Amino acid sequence: MKRADLITSIVLLVLSGYVIQEAWQMPPSASFGPGSGFLPFWLGVVLAVFATILFVSAWRHQATEKHSEPVFPGKQALLGITLVLVGLAAYIFLIEILGYLVDTFLFIVYLMKVVEREKWRLTLMVAVITTAALFIIFQFLLQIRLPSNMFGL
Amino acid sequence: MDIFNNLILGFHVAASWENILFCFIGVLIGTLIGVLPGIGPTTGIAILIPVTYGMSATTAIITMCGVYYGAMYGGSTTSILINLPGESASVMTMLDGYQMARKGRAGPALGMAALASFIAGTFAVIMLTLVAPPLASYAVSFGPPEYFALTFMGLTLVSALGGDKPLKAYISATLGLLVACVGIDAISGVARFTFNSMNLLDGVGFIGMAIGLFAVSEILVNIEEPMKQVFSDAKLSFRSLFPNLEDWKNSIGAICRGSLLGFFIGTLPGSGATLCSFIAYAVEKRVGKRREKFGTGVIEGVAAPEGANNAAAGGAMVPMLTLGIPSGAATAVMLGALMIHGLRPGPLLFSSNPDFVWGLIASMYIGNVFLVILNMPLLGIWVKLLKVPYKVLIPLILTISATGIFATDNNVFDMWIMFFFGLVGYVMRKLDFPAAPMVLALVIGRLVEMSLRQSLTISHGSISIFFTRPISCTLTIVALLSLFSPLFRILWNRYRRGKKAAT
Repeated sequence: MKRADLITSIVLLVLSGYVIQEAWQMPPSASFGPGSGFLPFWLGVVLAVFATILFVSAWRHQATEKHSEPVFPGKQALLGITLVLVGLAAYIFLIEILGYLVDTFLFIVYLMKVVEREKWRLTLMVAVITTAALFIIFQFLLQIRLPSNMFGL
Repeated sequence: MDIFNNLILGFHVAASWENILFCFIGVLIGTLIGVLPGIGPTTGIAILIPVTYGMSATTAIITMCGVYYGAMYGGSTTSILINLPGESASVMTMLDGYQMARKGRAGPALGMAALASFIAGTFAVIMLTLVAPPLASYAVSFGPPEYFALTFMGLTLVSALGGDKPLKAYISATLGLLVACVGIDAISGVARFTFNSMNLLDGVGFIGMAIGLFAVSEILVNIEEPMKQVFSDAKLSFRSLFPNLEDWKNSIGAICRGSLLGFFIGTLPGSGATLCSFIAYAVEKRVGKRREKFGTGVIEGVAAPEGANNAAAGGAMVPMLTLGIPSGAATAVMLGALMIHGLRPGPLLFSSNPDFVWGLIASMYIGNVFLVILNMPLLGIWVKLLKVPYKVLIPLILTISATGIFATDNNVFDMWIMFFFGLVGYVMRKLDFPAAPMVLALVIGRLVEMSLRQSLTISHGSISIFFTRPISCTLTIVALLSLFSPLFRILWNRYRRGKKAAT
């Protein structure tokens, strides 16, 4: 955990540096009172202070820490999470190309089959019912125009 | 008798068929979320924002509120039957509840949990009815300095009380405020941190962020540590649910103390239902008649925390409705939803939208009655529900979230916001950064900035304005005290250690 904290605090310090620099370049207030860069600038400063405290306390604790537990899960779980995230990204990316119905159906099949390794019967059942139910609720009951593909589906 | 007139107005609003229906649906979903371990009420509320987008503000918030206090009812079921809390607020219920179930007294434990919840929940709504209006009319005179002090205090309290890592909570809140800065500055019209993206000119979408931080990251955590399928073969007849007279005698004091503690601590920003149930259990363990038997399956050990978490859900409505300051993650998301519906939270809400406020309050009376009906005779069904394969929920939640986010603005970009904050939320969970301060900061970020800049404009740049006005001075001092409270704790510990070493 302490190593993770060290890395986090460095990332936060870089971020705060960026924020301060950006806020500095924002135009000063035209009339009176603080301008648009005022709050971001001070937030950047505050963030830098907090990050420094985090860094120092993690640094001091690291020396006394004997066994460090890994923060992130093992390979198996990490693979599962990556699969979900990749699937979600693909789902969002493809939704306007494949259309809502096809894309959602494929996404659920992917989640059930590839990520969770369910049986085909349950997979198809969940995919069909969920897609149909969501489509009916959003398209017809809530009157939202969901994305459709070139065939109008 | 203003309150009575208002309540009648409220019941008039809440008793429309639409509001009754959605109140029922809300508490039903809430109970469901409460029963299922691994999904919290905040996730449920966040997912509901887009679905309730097309409804009137009153109906939408009635539904979300129902989810919130409904989850407090449902959470006790799994705690008692399988020693697994359905909700973090039900952790304390496990201690005595599960022991009772092991002794064959699951029925009375479940029944007492539902009835204590009902009593405490109703008590909290009555208190809300009495306390909120005077507080709101008092707060109407607040100017920008008071508002800044109030939001500042809300942020520091939520961060300082919300967990055991205040520093990380402060960082989370600061990041949330920075996210709130993204977009066109409302005062001067300058675009800030937009990375030249048109989509970011309006700021980071609240719905996408809330769903990402809570729903998506919750799913990722569930993928990592799959929830074990859990069953309970407890046979529960309706009659076995009723606690006997002796149970009542033992519990009634605990319920009263739990309700009072839950409500008043629940009104403080940052406290939340979980903390309230902890405190109620701890108090009961000190003052209870059978205190030495706590942990072995005494019924007041179930009644106190269950009463407290329901009273806290009512108490949390007080700062949200009167001041526009949410007390935790769930109310922060609700407040965000309120703003999306075009209502301006704050003390003026009571005078500008009485039908909304009183309709909501009245719906909570109705919802509590629904809940006790849902939870007593239908308890067997809830228990069976645990057999639903957990894996079905993951695609379900992801697709509902994604579709809902798209539906609010017909914009795929919002889905990417959800994706991004899902990832951020997961990393934050892993690194022990609480998400509640961040969401809270995003929700009230604009108010914080507006009131800060307006105050400093009034005072020509001097921060003394926050200390010369009595109310804002008090609030600022509380905020500063809670901001530095971790430091005080460290110094105090060092002082005690030094003293110990000296003797």
